[in-house]
Amino acid sequence: MLVKNVYARILDRELKKGSAEPIILALLEQRPRHGYEISQMIESQSDGAVRFKVTSLYPLLYKLEKRGWLQGRWVEKAGQRRRRYYRITAVGRRVLAEQRQGWERFAAAINRIVEIRHA
Amino acid sequence: MPDWKAEIVRRLADPTLASRADIVEELAQHVDQRYRTLLARGLTEAAAYEEALQEVTDSVGLADTFRTRMRPPAPEAPVLGEARGNLLSSIGQDLRYAARMLVKNRGFTAVALIALTLGVGANTAIFSVINTVMLRPLPFAEPERLVRIWESFPEGGWPTFSASHPNFLDWRAKNTSFEQLAAFTDVGLALTSQNDAEILRGIAVTADYLPTLGISPMLGRNFRPDEDVPGGNTRVVILTYGFWQRQFGGDPDVLQKTMTLNGAPFSVIGVLPESFAFATPTLELLVPLAPDPARSRGDHRLRVIGRLKPGTTMAQAHAEFSAIAAQLATQFPASNRGWTVVFRSFYEWLVPEQSRQRLLVMAGAVALVLLIACGNVASLLLARGSERQREISIRAALGAARSRILRQLLIEALLLSLIGGALGMAAAVGANRLLLAYAPDALPRLNELSLDARVLGFALLSAIVTGLLFGLVPALQASRPNLTDTLKEGTGGGTRRQRLRHLLVVGEVALSVALLIGAGLLIRSFWRLQRVDPGFDGTRLLTMRVNLSGLRYPNGDARRVFYDRLLSDVRALPGVEQAATSSIVPLGGGNTSTEVKLLGRAQGTGRVPGADWRNVSPGYFRTLGIPLRGRDFNEADTAQSQPVTILSEAAARQYFPGEDPVGKTIILSSFGDNPMTVIGVAGDVRNNALATDAGPTVYGSATVYSGWNPMFLAIRTAGDPAALTASMRAAVRAIDASVPAYDVRTAEELIAQSLGSRRFNMYLLGCFAAIALLLACVGLFGVMSYLVSMRTRDIGIRLALGAAPGSVLRLILSHGLLLTTIGVAIGVAGGLALTGTMRTLLFGVEPTDTVTFVSVPLLLIAVALVACYVPARHAMRVDPLIALRSE
Repeated sequence: MLVKNVYARILDRELKKGSAEPIILALLEQRPRHGYEISQMIESQSDGAVRFKVTSLYPLLYKLEKRGWLQGRWVEKAGQRRRRYYRITAVGRRVLAEQRQGWERFAAAINRIVEIRHA
Repeated sequence: MPDWKAEIVRRLADPTLASRADIVEELAQHVDQRYRTLLARGLTEAAAYEEALQEVTDSVGLADTFRTRMRPPAPEAPVLGEARGNLLSSIGQDLRYAARMLVKNRGFTAVALIALTLGVGANTAIFSVINTVMLRPLPFAEPERLVRIWESFPEGGWPTFSASHPNFLDWRAKNTSFEQLAAFTDVGLALTSQNDAEILRGIAVTADYLPTLGISPMLGRNFRPDEDVPGGNTRVVILTYGFWQRQFGGDPDVLQKTMTLNGAPFSVIGVLPESFAFATPTLELLVPLAPDPARSRGDHRLRVIGRLKPGTTMAQAHAEFSAIAAQLATQFPASNRGWTVVFRSFYEWLVPEQSRQRLLVMAGAVALVLLIACGNVASLLLARGSERQREISIRAALGAARSRILRQLLIEALLLSLIGGALGMAAAVGANRLLLAYAPDALPRLNELSLDARVLGFALLSAIVTGLLFGLVPALQASRPNLTDTLKEGTGGGTRRQRLRHLLVVGEVALSVALLIGAGLLIRSFWRLQRVDPGFDGTRLLTMRVNLSGLRYPNGDARRVFYDRLLSDVRALPGVEQAATSSIVPLGGGNTSTEVKLLGRAQGTGRVPGADWRNVSPGYFRTLGIPLRGRDFNEADTAQSQPVTILSEAAARQYFPGEDPVGKTIILSSFGDNPMTVIGVAGDVRNNALATDAGPTVYGSATVYSGWNPMFLAIRTAGDPAALTASMRAAVRAIDASVPAYDVRTAEELIAQSLGSRRFNMYLLGCFAAIALLLACVGLFGVMSYLVSMRTRDIGIRLALGAAPGSVLRLILSHGLLLTTIGVAIGVAGGLALTGTMRTLLFGVEPTDTVTFVSVPLLLIAVALVACYVPARHAMRVDPLIALRSE
């Protein structure tokens, strides 16, 4: 049981590490969002299985912005305080498309391995 | 409301991050919103506060997290990532890296460079010929104003013919279109010393010849008008640069000197510039022509050129000349009726259509060779791209942009092609030397052949285009690294790459087939031509020219005495079976033609298509092995006896169809206006070229018409004809040491020379086709070897499962054969489409010649089988255990 938990934690960490970028890019694909909205959506859409804290989310956002995949901009709306919204760039869209493919292949590879184990 | 900002600034221990108000604000907002959400979910303020702060609490400090995550990427290794410095230095790095890669993969580099050297070299060599012959302006001032003018007698079957002296003089006097109108004709001038005689190649020119061409002597002066009239001081000579160097060692005082030419003293009055090499590079002297109005209008010997007045077109000038010709025809109907004029630009004259066409065929052929070379190198690069897949994947994984990898690969390809280009250039220089050494007369203006900036530019451009062409696709392929594919297929490369390689091999095979078909047709033409019966027996036959233009032989009688003695002396030489003289021997170069009039014919004046004429001594037909029925000329035929002639079979058929011409009479203008009795009919001889059907030829007796000079001496020998050269020369010298005997050639040499340009075409195209075949086979071999190495595991499994080695062999061979067959099919279709352009280069074979179209594909398939067999045999011997373990 202990062993299983350790593996689960490692898997969670590894998955998060590899998947954080496509997750964020995918969430911004439809429209610009601010950081809190992004974190909420990740949490709700994964039924609470994946959660990014400020310490992991914002450094990642800044890093992606620096790479030119995202662009952050302060937006003021009437009756609201100003917020920083993140928008996906054209480069970001291409990266997302590649990462999606990579993900699909990765998933397929895992499936194959699993099948072989079962055979 | 808690002060989130203060909390965050406290936790962001790093002052540089804490001073970023926007970061602090954004994080504070996030925590605040979390706090509100938690409150909304029903938590107490204290609980919500604790929970919200969890967002920014970690065992690792918040600032540390930020710093690590936001650290700027590490500087990339020079060849791996995006250049940070200036572009030039990064390209320099790419170049150095590319050079290292080329040195490292010596085998690859060597094969690629050989292909490129052959491709670029052949193209540059042919381009330098095209550049010289077709593109460079003619070496005259305003060459577009220069016109070549012929007389023409379509009725006699002579579309272009030389002009007569009086006609030329009338044109010159009456026309208003030309600034200058000049005439010239070839002359051989005997340069005699005490014990030796040499014939110099000269032209007799009118005084306006050099001004027409826009050329001035480098030393001295041009001929004066008073030196260019009959009876004037015509014993003046202008030397060409080459002759001045050779004969006078470039002596600047040459203008004071005199030369003994044809036994008379000539004053040297000028030296031509070195650049003057007009149509005849071997030209040595110019002497005045002094056109004579008293000469016969029927005696056509002059070549006429003119420089149009500015603003006058060739068509206008031609219209004027046609009017003058019509006027002369009315005025002198006996000689000029039916004669008109034909104009051509200098370019059309000096670089005839057929030469241009030949060059374009060759250019097309070398372009195909280059394409094949490109295909080869591209296929090599593709294979190497697969091997380098891991390297490229690692670079990409380390963050190198695709454009950066692409640039690196392209620079490698370009470096390769530039080295290939430089080698190709050197090869072209060598090829040009060979061309000049072995085929100087194969094309007009070839003597001007040299490399210039345009040729260098072409070589550079073709190298760069080649580099881009063969480098781009493999680079695009290789720069798209695909981690999963790479892992999945080892170093194999994707199926797309494999398909591309197959496509390249099919293309190379197709191009080689097209080229081989072209070469095959030329070889077949040449083979046919060599089997053409020339109409005379070319074995053990030696010919030589003898020139009696000196003062000692002023007339026919003196010359006849000389030749009578020469013939009797030569016949007495041991090893000589027969001997005779002739004005021109078959394939000896030059031609003479005459008008023919038939007596008692209903149609018009009885003028019919003209004939070639030859002046021959008794025994000529026997000496040359030409069959003769009726009687030969003999010593009894003299100027006083009844004029007699011998006709060729073609002449007999043409002028006396269905009749026996022997005993009939005919008028041949070149032998006089008296009717001549036909005494015999000789077999047809291909006098001018083996590829041209023998036209009507008429013979006069040298015993009667003995004034012709120079004459050919022909001997039939018992043994090797060349062995008698010295004794023939000695026989001439024994009679008169001042008489030049020259141009000694065996009949076999005459035949070989007459085939020279066709042999040249055949060798050239054959050479290109051989290169193409070699390159295509190397390509095929490469692809099949690669295929075998890729399928080693598959083959190992088959063998392990009990497949017979023979079936593996068949598997690989059939794969190669499939690619070859597809290529061959495309090549045959291409060949059918292309060979139509070669029609004028062919002799006796159709552009769709079945033998060629069947044998070339068979040859290619056979060679391809050999190229596939080696890798296939390798596959057959795969050790299943090793093959399986290696994966």
